[in-house]
Order: sequence, then structure tokens, then C-alpha cells
Amino acid sequence: MSDLLEVERVRKRFGGIVALSDANLSARAGEVHALLGENGAGKSTLIQILAGAVRADGGVVRLAGRDYRPSDPVAAQAAGVSVVFQELSLVPDLTVEQNIWFRSEPLSAIATVRARAMRGATLSLFERYAFPAPRPDAEVRRLTLAERQIVEIAKALARDPKLLILDEATSALAPRETEWLLNLTRAFAASGRLAIFISHRLSEVREVADRMTIFRNGATVAAYETKAVQDDAIIAAMLGRQMQRLYPARIATATTNVALRARGLTVGDRLKSVDLDLKEGEVLGVGGLQGHGQRELFQALFGIGKSQGAIEIWGRPTVLKGPRQALSGPNGLALVPEDRRNHGLLLTKSVRENLTLSIISRFVRNGLIDSRKERVLVDEMVQRLKIRVGSPEQIAGTLSGGNQQKVVFGKMLLTEAKILLLYDPTRGIDVGAKGEIFQLMRDLAAKGFAILFYSSDLAELVHVADRVAVLRNGRLAATLAGESLAEAEILRAAMVEARSAA
Amino acid sequence: MTAAAEPEAARQADLRAGDLRLRLVDRAPFLIACGMLAVLVAVYASLRSGVFSLDELNLDTAAAMTLLFAATGQTIVLLRGGIDLSIGGVVSLGTVIAATQFGDSPLSVLLWSVIIVGIGALVGVVNGALVTMLRLQPFLVTLATWSILSGAALMILPTDGGQLPSGWMAFGGAIWLGLSSSVWLLVALIVFWMWFNRTPLGFAIRATGSNERSAFLSGVSPLFINAATYGLSGVFAALAALYLTTQTGAGSPTIGKDYILPSVAAAVIGGISLFGGRGGLLGTVIGAYILTIIGNLVFVLRISSYWQPIVSGVILLISVLASSIAEKSARRSLT
Repeated sequence: MSDLLEVERVRKRFGGIVALSDANLSARAGEVHALLGENGAGKSTLIQILAGAVRADGGVVRLAGRDYRPSDPVAAQAAGVSVVFQELSLVPDLTVEQNIWFRSEPLSAIATVRARAMRGATLSLFERYAFPAPRPDAEVRRLTLAERQIVEIAKALARDPKLLILDEATSALAPRETEWLLNLTRAFAASGRLAIFISHRLSEVREVADRMTIFRNGATVAAYETKAVQDDAIIAAMLGRQMQRLYPARIATATTNVALRARGLTVGDRLKSVDLDLKEGEVLGVGGLQGHGQRELFQALFGIGKSQGAIEIWGRPTVLKGPRQALSGPNGLALVPEDRRNHGLLLTKSVRENLTLSIISRFVRNGLIDSRKERVLVDEMVQRLKIRVGSPEQIAGTLSGGNQQKVVFGKMLLTEAKILLLYDPTRGIDVGAKGEIFQLMRDLAAKGFAILFYSSDLAELVHVADRVAVLRNGRLAATLAGESLAEAEILRAAMVEARSAA
Repeated sequence: MTAAAEPEAARQADLRAGDLRLRLVDRAPFLIACGMLAVLVAVYASLRSGVFSLDELNLDTAAAMTLLFAATGQTIVLLRGGIDLSIGGVVSLGTVIAATQFGDSPLSVLLWSVIIVGIGALVGVVNGALVTMLRLQPFLVTLATWSILSGAALMILPTDGGQLPSGWMAFGGAIWLGLSSSVWLLVALIVFWMWFNRTPLGFAIRATGSNERSAFLSGVSPLFINAATYGLSGVFAALAALYLTTQTGAGSPTIGKDYILPSVAAAVIGGISLFGGRGGLLGTVIGAYILTIIGNLVFVLRISSYWQPIVSGVILLISVLASSIAEKSARRSLT
């Protein structure tokens, strides 16, 4: 066999849950091989096995013809396998370069780390792969999600692997960085090594992968040559049924009633004098290249950090002093934050506790929690959002990404706020759950909710939002609607010319 | 594309400008500790002449050194994100073994010193193994080992006493080049730290304290790191015991408990985060001196010695508050 990686009938259980029942995969050196499947299909478990983070219960994995059973991540690295984890394996309190070379630092005669050699190696690594990287001496906890993702990739490449696994590595990246990573992946494979590429974005898979293997419910269901297969067939294999349309019909439900009005909103020099009108019943998209003020806009509207400018909520001038005030009641705002694992959810708490955390005071009677009332509301929300849980007492951290995000949505809806700020709500979640979330957004808009929606995926903005406000250098570069609402137009506004608001 | 490059350059410039502020915020707890030490020394100097002399430095360092050894071990454990209460047990046991076993020959002293340090290391490795393999809280594991070691110390020597060779005690008071043995030990400790902090083990301990899961995924073995962390803590506790006997000239089965919480306090006052990953030994040294000078002040002011723990507590509160504020403002500037 000339295959570099062969996976045969690999199985894995976590307690009572079967994560993998029959995983099969064969991939050659010199190719980019995509793994596809909904969250919970077993891709991540297979990767954890390949990375040495967990051990398979049964089956065979061969690497370059030899039995491969890494007992821990060190053994996997020694065998030439590097993984860019979705959950990120960086240490916040170490610098970029210390993270990249962590556990393989260049050493001096007295066993200390040679800082200068490490800097040199970092810079030449960055140069070799044209990294759009942050400074080597920046501490990782200071970096944005996208920057951390890039450092994670650098760390994987620093081991000079023969098998590179990219798990959702593009989900945090802006279009330009994504393009860079796709090029890098192709170049990596072209040098005779194997790249395994996992993404929920079919267009990326099409662009980069030679072949693909599709997972469903813990088993391999199909393998295709990318050129020889249609998108519909891929999606059908992933879902095991015909795909309902990913994007719901967009029925204009916006009224003339302005829910959220911002005038001259300014945050330092990251966001400069932005005017915004979000109407009742409207989904207003926010676009632009990453790091051009989108995050600052959402934070300013939610009352995090210092900002100047006037904000009116439902026609009333408001000064937001902090999230607690923004949250309060039907006249408030609710936010789906960027980093749901750290900021949106308490991963070690139950779905019920997460849902009712911000509104617990509503169930308090005589100083005690009325758990029956709480239970009713929780059950209702679980059903309404189709959150797939065994029971509401299931721990949030054990849910798939899509279901975790639904819990965040549920938490937000329970606050009864009618203005929703959604910051990249579909990041890293599977196609099925994405479709449900888009449908939910349109349903909410039809009920009179006002939704501000940022996405790093341009197609989502174009297909889900009524209008898209494009930010460039912290300024409002254009507001696109109707005919001009297209991916190319958003990119043009984000990168080149300023257009007057439509 | 040049249009896109310019704002990028401006953004980088912003980052650099914000850098100094961030660095100051990061180091705020340490800088505040330095400030507090300066104020305490100034007050002390106004009450008493000859504070800025080598004699004073020698005396204060000798007074601080036992705590400093214990706090060095505690610092390593705190950086890992743990806590070590068994330090008290190792100190007690170390002093009573020294006081009962040290003979007059240098060989005997050397042999038993090595044995005491070995016991400290062994206790630490056991702590680390228990924490890792049974997945127990470090607080509870080390509380238990402290209790066990205290009992062992009482069995060996039920009351304070025993005898130490005169040559051993002479070392405690020895002066070379105007500096006492304690100052030289401090220098050695700092040199050790400068080295240790730059070794892969030092990186790995801080990394594990910063984010355990990330460290594991990057290839750090949890068992190894815990055994090494608590093992080093045990070694430093044993060194604290040995140094203590040069000062007291006796063994004490109960003296160790006096170093458990002060070792944590010295580290925290010096800016070590209880959540792991952040801080350094220099902060702990400052913290240990602060606690020592407070003792001196109480003595010079001729007030009741009960004031010493009260003032220490207030200083500790100020430090904790300062680092908490710094932490919050750092987080705000980020999110």
C-alpha cells in the first residue's frame, strides 16, 4: 500500500456514548484530504486518536505502513503527526514564540532555552510560510481568536510534520487569511506530505482538497474524489437525507420603527463615528475584513468598554454602563459572544443552569428558587430551539458545537430582550445546525425582533441579512441592500472604494 | 492593497503604544509590592539609624531566609496552579531529624543533610503523584501529608530541643566579604531562579498553571509535571528546615506550621497569581522582606507583637486587591 495513513474499523466509546463505531480512512502522501461530517459525526474523536490525546478502543491505524498507536501527544509528534486543534492548544501566559516551540525549545549547554535562537527560528518559520503572524514576543492571552489560530498553525508546522491535521482551522480566520491558509495547505501537500483538512465550508473543501471522506454518526459513509462529486451528493451523505435549503427564504419584515439607533459611535481609534439604524423586524448584517471595528461595534453597543456617541434604544436615549444594564428586560439587548466556549457558556454546568443563569431572579419566591416554574420554561426553550439533549441536566460542555450555540441562543431569548447582537453565531458549527439558526433568526425577525448580525462568512451575510453595513478602518464604508448585496460588493467595500449609503 | 497595508501599519503602531501600558498593568502587583517595601523601609529608617547598612541587610536576610526557602517552593507550586501545605510538615521533620541525628563529623552532617533533602523531595513526589493519579485537590492532599509529617516529627522529638554541632551553627552567622551566609544563599537562590526560569521545566510548570489542557495537548505529562513541582517544593522546604536549624540551634516538631501560610502570603504579596502561570521569584523575595520588615517595625515601635500578624494581613489584602484590580483592567482592555 502506498497510502501514508490508513484507518480501519476504529472504534471509541466515552462512557455510554459511542463516538466512533466504524471509522475508515485512507489518504496518500501528497494530497489534501478533507474530512466532512456534522458535528458529533466523529471527526474530532478520530483526530484526538491520531493526535494521541485519546486511545482507540479497537481497530487499526497505520502510518507509513507501520502500526500507529500513540500513547500520548508526545508520541504522536515524534511520529510526525501535528494537529491544529479546534479548541486550540496554546498557553495564554506564554509568548507567541514560547508557544510555538513549547516542548521543543532550542537548548544551551546549561539546559536553558536559547531565546535568540528561538526568535530566529520563529522569524524564519514565519517567512517560509508567509505567516500573517503577530509579533513573536506578544503574550498569547493578548491575541484575538484569529491571531491565536495562526499561532496554532505555526506551532504545528514548527514540528515539520509529515501529516498535518487542520481541524476547523479556517473558522476563526478572515477571508484573506483563509486564502493564505488554503495556499499553505496545498503547498504543504505538494511537497509530498499529507494534509488532512476539516471544514464546514464546502467552498473551501472544493478549493483545497483532492479527495474527501465523509462521516456520519461515528462511521465512515463515503469517500470521493473532489472533482467527481456534486455538492448535493456530499451534503446528502453528511446528513443521510436530502438537505433542506441551508438559507431560509428572506421575507422582508422590517418596519419603519427604529429599534437601535447609534450616532457617531466611537471607540478609541478602532471605531470612528459610526451611524447605524437597526429596525424592528430587520436582520442587519455587519461585514468587512476582520479587525476593522466589528468587535468594537458589538462591544460598544453591549456596553463593554469605553465608547463615545449617542445610542437610542426603542427611541429612548440610553447610556449603557455595562452588560448587566444592557441585559435588563424587554427593552434591553442580548449578545451572542464571539467565544461561546469561554464567554457564552458555563461548560461545566447543566443546560438548565446555563439557560436560566441571567434570569434566575424571575423564579425566586420568598428567597427560594421555584424550580417547577424554571423547569417549564427550560423545557419549552429546549423544544423550541430543538436543542438535542438527553435531559436539561446534561452538562453543556458535552454538547456538540451547534447545540451549545443553541443553548446560548436560548439563554439570550429568555432574557426577553428584543434587540439581539449576534457575533459570528455559526462559527464552527455544522451545516444542519447552521440552517436551523438562520431559520430561527428569520422567524425572530418576523416576530419583531431586531437583529444585528456579524459573520466571518460572507455568504451568510448575503443570504440571511436584509442589509449589510460594511466597516473599513473602523468607519462605515457602505450599507448594501437589494441588488448590490453580494459577496463581491461587500469585499469591494471592505477593501477598496467607499460607497455612499444606499 | 497598499490601502489595506496602511491601516495595518497604524494598527501595529497602536499596539506598540498600548504595549507599555499593558506591561505596566501586568506588573502592577509586583510594582505595588516594591512600593510597599520602599514605604516600610522608609518608615523603619525614620525610626532607627543605620538601616541602610550591610549589618542591617545581613540581619534582615538571616531573619527572612527560612521563609524565603519555603516561599520559593511555594512559588513554584503556585505557578503550577497548586498549593503546598505540606511545607510545614517537611520543615518540622527536617529540624528534628537534624537536631537528633547530626554528629560532630562533617561527613555525618553532610549525609543527614542529603537524607533530609531527599525526604523533602520524596514527600513532594508523593504529593504530586496523589494529586495526579487520584485527581485530588492539592489543598487536601498536602493538608493530609502535613498532618502525617507533623505526627512523625513529634514521634522523633516530642518537645523542642536536640543538639546541633557548633560548626553548623557557625555557618549561620558566618560573614564573607562583608556579607552574611544568608545573603550569599539569597544570591545563590536568585541565580538558581534565573536558570530555572529559562529551562524547559520552568516553561512547562508555568504553562501547566496557565492552561492545563493546552499543556497536555502540547505534550506535557501531568504526572511528571506534578511530581517535579511538588518535589521541588519539598526540596526547598527541606532547605528551609536546614537553614532554620543554623539559626535556632535546635529542632522543633511544631515550628513548621509558622511557615505554611506566610510562604503563600510572601508569594501573593509579591504578585504570584493564585490561579497559576504568572509571577516570579523576585516578587516572592520582596514579599518575604516585607513580612520581615513588618516584624522589625513592631519591635522598634515597642508595640505588642500581636500587631505583626494584623499588619501583615492588611498588607496581604492590599496586594490581593491590587492584583485583582490589575487583572480586571487587563481583561477589560482586551475583550
